[in-house]
Amino acid sequence: MHSPELLKGTLQTIVLKVLQDHGKMYGYEITQRVKELSDSRILLTEGALYPTLHKLEAEGLLKTETVNIGKRVRKYYTLTSVGKSLSKERVHDFVDFIKTMAAVLQVKMA
Amino acid sequence: MTEQHIAYIIKDLNHRGIIVDEISDEIIDHVCSGVESEIGKGLRFIDAYHKVLHSFGHNAGLRQTQKEILKVENKTVRLMLKNYVTIAFRNLKKHRFYTLINVSGLSIGIASCLIIMLYVINELSYDKHYKNASRIYRVNGEIKFGGNHWKLAVGPAPLAAALINDYPEVEQVVRFRSRGSYLVKKEGGTTSFKEHNVNRTDSTFFKVFSVPVLEGDAHSALAEPNSVAISKKIAEKYYPEGNALGKTLILDNTLSVKITAIFEDMPQTGHFQFDILVSMTGDEEAMSSHFLSNNFNTYILLKEGASAKALEAKFPGMVEKYIGPQAASILGGEFSMEKFRASGNILEYTLMPMTDIHLHSDLTAEFRANGDITYVYLFSAIALFILVIACINFMNLSTARSSNRAKEVGIRKVMGSFRSHLIRQFLSESVLLSVFSFMLSIGIAYLFLPTFNNLSQKSLQLPFESPPFYLTLLASSLVVGLMAGLYPSFFLSAFKPVNVLKGNLALGMKSGVIRSSLVVFQFVISILLIIGTFTVKRQLNYIQNKKIGFEKDQVIVIQDAYALRDNLQSFKSENLRNSFILSGTISGYLPVSGTWRNDNTFWPEGAQPTEENMVGLQNWTVDQDYLKTLGMKIKAGRFFSEEFPSDSSAIVMNESAVKQFNLGNDPLGKKISTFSGNNPDGSPDRNSIRSYTVVGVVENFHFESLRQNISPLAFFLDSSNGSVAFRFQASNTQDVIHSIENSWTKLAPGQPFQYSFLDEDFGRMYSSEQRLGKIFVVFAGLAIVIACLGLFALTSFTAEQRTKEIGIRKVLGASVASIVILLSKEFGKLIIIAFVIAAPLAWYAVSWWLKGYIYKVEVGFLVYFLAGLLSFGVAWITMGYQSIKAASSNPIKSLRSE
Repeated sequence: MHSPELLKGTLQTIVLKVLQDHGKMYGYEITQRVKELSDSRILLTEGALYPTLHKLEAEGLLKTETVNIGKRVRKYYTLTSVGKSLSKERVHDFVDFIKTMAAVLQVKMA
Repeated sequence: MTEQHIAYIIKDLNHRGIIVDEISDEIIDHVCSGVESEIGKGLRFIDAYHKVLHSFGHNAGLRQTQKEILKVENKTVRLMLKNYVTIAFRNLKKHRFYTLINVSGLSIGIASCLIIMLYVINELSYDKHYKNASRIYRVNGEIKFGGNHWKLAVGPAPLAAALINDYPEVEQVVRFRSRGSYLVKKEGGTTSFKEHNVNRTDSTFFKVFSVPVLEGDAHSALAEPNSVAISKKIAEKYYPEGNALGKTLILDNTLSVKITAIFEDMPQTGHFQFDILVSMTGDEEAMSSHFLSNNFNTYILLKEGASAKALEAKFPGMVEKYIGPQAASILGGEFSMEKFRASGNILEYTLMPMTDIHLHSDLTAEFRANGDITYVYLFSAIALFILVIACINFMNLSTARSSNRAKEVGIRKVMGSFRSHLIRQFLSESVLLSVFSFMLSIGIAYLFLPTFNNLSQKSLQLPFESPPFYLTLLASSLVVGLMAGLYPSFFLSAFKPVNVLKGNLALGMKSGVIRSSLVVFQFVISILLIIGTFTVKRQLNYIQNKKIGFEKDQVIVIQDAYALRDNLQSFKSENLRNSFILSGTISGYLPVSGTWRNDNTFWPEGAQPTEENMVGLQNWTVDQDYLKTLGMKIKAGRFFSEEFPSDSSAIVMNESAVKQFNLGNDPLGKKISTFSGNNPDGSPDRNSIRSYTVVGVVENFHFESLRQNISPLAFFLDSSNGSVAFRFQASNTQDVIHSIENSWTKLAPGQPFQYSFLDEDFGRMYSSEQRLGKIFVVFAGLAIVIACLGLFALTSFTAEQRTKEIGIRKVLGASVASIVILLSKEFGKLIIIAFVIAAPLAWYAVSWWLKGYIYKVEVGFLVYFLAGLLSFGVAWITMGYQSIKAASSNPIKSLRSE
């Protein structure tokens, strides 16, 4: 499992990209999806995920929609158009970053 | 997963400290989803739940998550605002009583304000709809001569021509000649209708006033003699089939006129509103070059950029050039304008912007009674007062309740709230309240607007379709909310938490210098309004009941008697046979305004007419029964009688004429003279002079509004077919009307039967005052009610605050009365202070208003005393209930629990 320290700067990028790929998702679904994609090596903690979601929503990158299911209320997140373009940009930036890191750390990417 | 499981999770999470609505929903869903998937893997519910909780980090982790989210949320303005509003809403709900007082006071206040603003805006919008409104001026005249002083809305016939010929800055002129109402029927028709809004005018009318012409050509419409332009309303009335253009109407059963244009109905917000405009082309009087009679309302359209002031400055020259020579030819050779002015006389013309006419002009020969800027100011002031009183209520209640909220403020500050947060919190409470009151006030205004319209004789409407209306309302609700909340919020947020929580902050009623002054201010306004209302009422009563010099009751006036033509005398004698009718007289001249008037200049016989000895005299032609029917009193001599055939050259004058002619103590038998013939140009012929002998003097009687002095007047014996007046017995009004109507329909078939009672006509002269009085009473009452609402809440609050004190006092032996006095004392003092401040202000305001009346009521000390007593009484009743309730409550109850 990756250290949470490493994840810190990438959380937003992960959330944005996952939402871009899957459209409408709720919090638990996002954690499960990331877990699945990372082969359980990245576990998003709730304490980090939800503040991030709320922050992205406040910045206007996400919009929400609540659905009543039985006794509980489920809140779905989707990207806004601003969020979509930002998502691409973030992913692109991150790939650049990895390349730079590879150069700095003198390692070859697989 | 079962329902119970979910309920368990919700309860447990709540217990663990996840309480913020939105966040808890999301976390519950998350936990549930997690638990579901764990159960799917074969775990028992409780194990699954604990596993999920573990991933959150148990209580600490859960709360940390909630806190992190809150931190993010609090950085966004939208959510903070939502929080403020939520808390404000809860606070308002918790203190329902105060909220109710605040909202009702504020919304009644705003609704009154709204209605008054509509009224004021309507008054200010008069005549602005004409395209060239800012360039149109009316020529006003002022003449002081021969014991008379006229301020006229009319000028001489040739004035218009002189203006446009001599002054290049005048682009266009138009004149009107009012001759009252007309009986109108269509050609071939049998029934006439009475039309009030008829006027004669020049063909240039449509060039000056941009009244849209629907059919016909505006340019040539009134060019031909005997052509008329009519309004859409009239066209539809006489020609419902819609082919009015080119048809012929018959005016007063004699004059045939051709319809050459149909114009859009003129809006109500104009100082005139004509339905039928008759062309003046070819009219002899209109073409006259005589400058000394003033009968034409004259309007000019100035050229773009021309200055009215500069033009006005040239008018003395015009008077010199045209009027001087004509006056000299009448008054003798040595006349000059300088001498005329030197002996204190005035003859001058001025320009008045048309848009000022409605609110600033109250001259002789206006088209109709105008509004008055005084009322606009008065009403605006009342609107402002009401709003201020309502806002003060809000401020007072908030600060008074501060002791209750001091602890809240203390705790909030300890928990890390900044002062700015608290200010925002309190402001959002007041803004919420204000917005709510505004919404309510629209409803109230909508409900009561018809009543107000009835009272003010307007047809005002709330502009529901116009976005600026809502924008203004929203903006003002925010402003009012902020204004009202500003002081309380700064006051409350300044508390030091240490002091508040230790409980040694002196609060409540004792800390209110500002609050006391606000209460004083409210009552100053209330007392002012009470005194104002009393004065208006008293003045109106005074006018209605003053000895007016004739008997206005039990007289019925049949209008448009000329429609009877040759049957006039038989109409009178036929009705006199009715035993309930005591006497009757035929004359157009009646002692109420709106009936005929005619004045001429006279001088004592034998003297040469000069500017010193000429007297302007009302000439009223009447028959022998006039005095008997209308009940004036003879002071000396006799009235006209059939026994004296020579009465055709006799006159009966009023006391004021005797004084003006200097006829001394024995005026009987003395003679006065006047010009009896005209030159072809319309000026009086100096060679034809006729003299009349004074045979009687009547006591002065009021024949115009009591705003005016009684001017010289004389009766002449001659026919005058304007109306017939009958004095009748009180018990049979219906029968009398019925029998008169029967004989009318027989003798004047097809003519409208119009009647009125003299006392009603008399009352109508004061209808604008009556209306003002009523509106004033209503809004003054509202202001007082709102002020008392605030006082009521304030006292009930004090009483609540002091329950323990009262309890202890009672235990120690205080009587109910002494406690009531104790509680009322504080406010009583404030009201006395308010009275001391209000009395001189009211005195000043009242004397300013009464200045407009020549015959005015004395506003004695009693009115002030009553007003003071009334405001004290009302306030005391308001407070008394609460005081007595507090004083008579059982001290055990208030002292038992701590």
